[in-house]
Amino acid sequence: MRKASLLSIALAASTLALTAGAGFAQDDDTIRIGFLPGVVDPFYQVMQLGVEQAAEDLGVEVVTQIPPTWGVEAQTPLLDALIARGDLDYIITAPVEKDQMITPLQHAVDAGIKIITVDTFLGDGDYANGPVHFPVSYIGSDNVEGGRISARGLAAAIGGKGKVYINSTNPNVSSVQGREQGFIEVMKAEFPDITVLGPDYNLDDQNTAQQQTAAIIEQNQDLAGVFGTNVFSAGGAGNAVVNAGLGGVVQVVAYDATKEAIELMGNGVVSLVLAQKPFDMGYLAVQFAVADDAGVTSLPRRVETGFAIIDKDNVSDPEYARFIYQTP
Amino acid sequence: MTDRHTSSGPQLTRGKRLLLLTSRLWAWVFLGLMIAFFIITVPIFSGATFFSVRNSQNILVAITPVLLLGLGQTFVIISAGIDLSVGWVMSLASVVSAHAIRATFAWGFPLPLAVFSGFLAAVAASAVVGGINGTIIARLKVPAFIVTLGSSFIVRGVGLLLSENTTVIGLPNGMRDYGNESLFYWVRGEGGGFYFLERPDVTGELLRGMDRILAWPVVITAIVVLICMFLLHKTQFGRHTYAIGGNMQAALRTGIPVERHITKLYMLSSVTAGIAGFLSTLRFNAGSAVIGDPLLLSSIAAVIIGGVSLFGGAGSIVGTIIGALIIAVLTTGLVMLGVQAFVQFIVVGVVVILAVLIDQSRDLVLGRGRSRGGA
Repeated sequence: MRKASLLSIALAASTLALTAGAGFAQDDDTIRIGFLPGVVDPFYQVMQLGVEQAAEDLGVEVVTQIPPTWGVEAQTPLLDALIARGDLDYIITAPVEKDQMITPLQHAVDAGIKIITVDTFLGDGDYANGPVHFPVSYIGSDNVEGGRISARGLAAAIGGKGKVYINSTNPNVSSVQGREQGFIEVMKAEFPDITVLGPDYNLDDQNTAQQQTAAIIEQNQDLAGVFGTNVFSAGGAGNAVVNAGLGGVVQVVAYDATKEAIELMGNGVVSLVLAQKPFDMGYLAVQFAVADDAGVTSLPRRVETGFAIIDKDNVSDPEYARFIYQTP
Repeated sequence: MTDRHTSSGPQLTRGKRLLLLTSRLWAWVFLGLMIAFFIITVPIFSGATFFSVRNSQNILVAITPVLLLGLGQTFVIISAGIDLSVGWVMSLASVVSAHAIRATFAWGFPLPLAVFSGFLAAVAASAVVGGINGTIIARLKVPAFIVTLGSSFIVRGVGLLLSENTTVIGLPNGMRDYGNESLFYWVRGEGGGFYFLERPDVTGELLRGMDRILAWPVVITAIVVLICMFLLHKTQFGRHTYAIGGNMQAALRTGIPVERHITKLYMLSSVTAGIAGFLSTLRFNAGSAVIGDPLLLSSIAAVIIGGVSLFGGAGSIVGTIIGALIIAVLTTGLVMLGVQAFVQFIVVGVVVILAVLIDQSRDLVLGRGRSRGGA
């Protein structure tokens, strides 16, 4: 497996004057992994902790590059830089766009680097039968499924009936789109007594999220629940709920268990928090790389890491509290 | 930057002043028509009331960040400049004030004093950014557009660096009240009443029926509005601002300290944005390094809808308030009407352009073109 291309030998040789001999000698037995998440945020930071922990446990080297903003324009140059190093065997990445990132990642494959996608996928995420085959595996929790779980959690909290409202960030972001889609799908199919209002888009402005939710409360005095498709939206929506004297009466669900979301729950602004498992995603991805390198051929092409719903009652239970995104 | 030779507000003849007043009233009329439209349509289509105490208060709270960003921007645009850094300055101030509040509270300060030090920290941090912006623009003659665009990247980076994964949390219990409680309370229904300062201890249905009247962010914003109105319309500072925007060369010739004045304008613009950041920390109980990013365009839209000329020399604070109100009333009204999200975007765009078109009629009335070098 450890095939060093002619190019990388040439590169290594040309930079021999700069690098220590020991480092060069190491090249052949250590697996080197590039880690390229989607953007700077607590979710990916916890994933990075998982990657680093696995790297330490399994004795592999990790190089991390984090895009400052979410987008193809920000991720691609960093990917190209990782490929250009010439010493990586695997890249673990969360592609920021399922179609546009195919070609840039194909370049990595052409350079002899294997790809594992985490959190987000390429094509339809089915690497066995779908349109995109080259990645080793996809390890993550589907946003649509997250929307479904949120819907069931909220429905249980409001007793299966009433009006619920979706406040979302931007209409053109696939992750929150999936969350809305799964949420609406389950409410329609499984809870006929629940009416879904919205989504409205706050365009990443917490103040607008609060204003929109306040307007919805004015229009629907009987509102039972709100689904904020990220922590920011849930925080703004929750503020409107509390200020209308409805804290604890209208249930607010926040997507992603950041420490901020947990604090909002402590303050009574948010009532349910949906946790993904970014640590698992990072750790498993490194394990998959090591297994693939050792010649394991039966790795699953798709792994769902699942969710946990955290509420006021279970937040201090270590079984649940461990899913809070503990960033340094 | 400015090559218009038209005279500005104070030198107008009586007749033209009357026309100016009429066209200014247009913005009021426009806002009034919009509110009337929602008062009539919202009950018909959704059975709710648009014209309620709570709704008016919701709208007032919602305009505070846009208005604060717009206030400083009004001065800058009247001087024929532009400040593109205000959104990120707001974010930076939010992070800095959260740190200050947390640190001073942990240090043993009583909560009100800790909150006040958060205010001071926000103002200080934003004043530094404004001072640097202004100095580069005024003394090194670099276009404001470039300077503030560049500094917004720097400010954004510093804000993110100072934050902890974009948000600063762990702020003292009870701080949320400073951002969400209010001057007056009105509890509807039996056993209710009117309360001043002290929040009535009610629960259940009474709590649902409690309206917060003049929330603290609204009060603070109102104070800033009054200060800005005084500065712009009653002082030499304001007259110099119009003069510089109307004709920079003439302003220089009449001995106005143009460089120092421009520096002050950008400091003012940053500081009002900084106050918006401080208030957002109180409202959302966390310092956020991204809170102000989406607000830049809304704040500029408010200023332009309010009749401030992008070419400088004309505009007023009241106009900016109406501009911010038009945007906020529209958002609340459309949500209450149950208009689909994508259609909302279209309506907002159309109304913004319409409002500016109506405002342009002032220039038609006064016979001055907006074309550069006109008159």
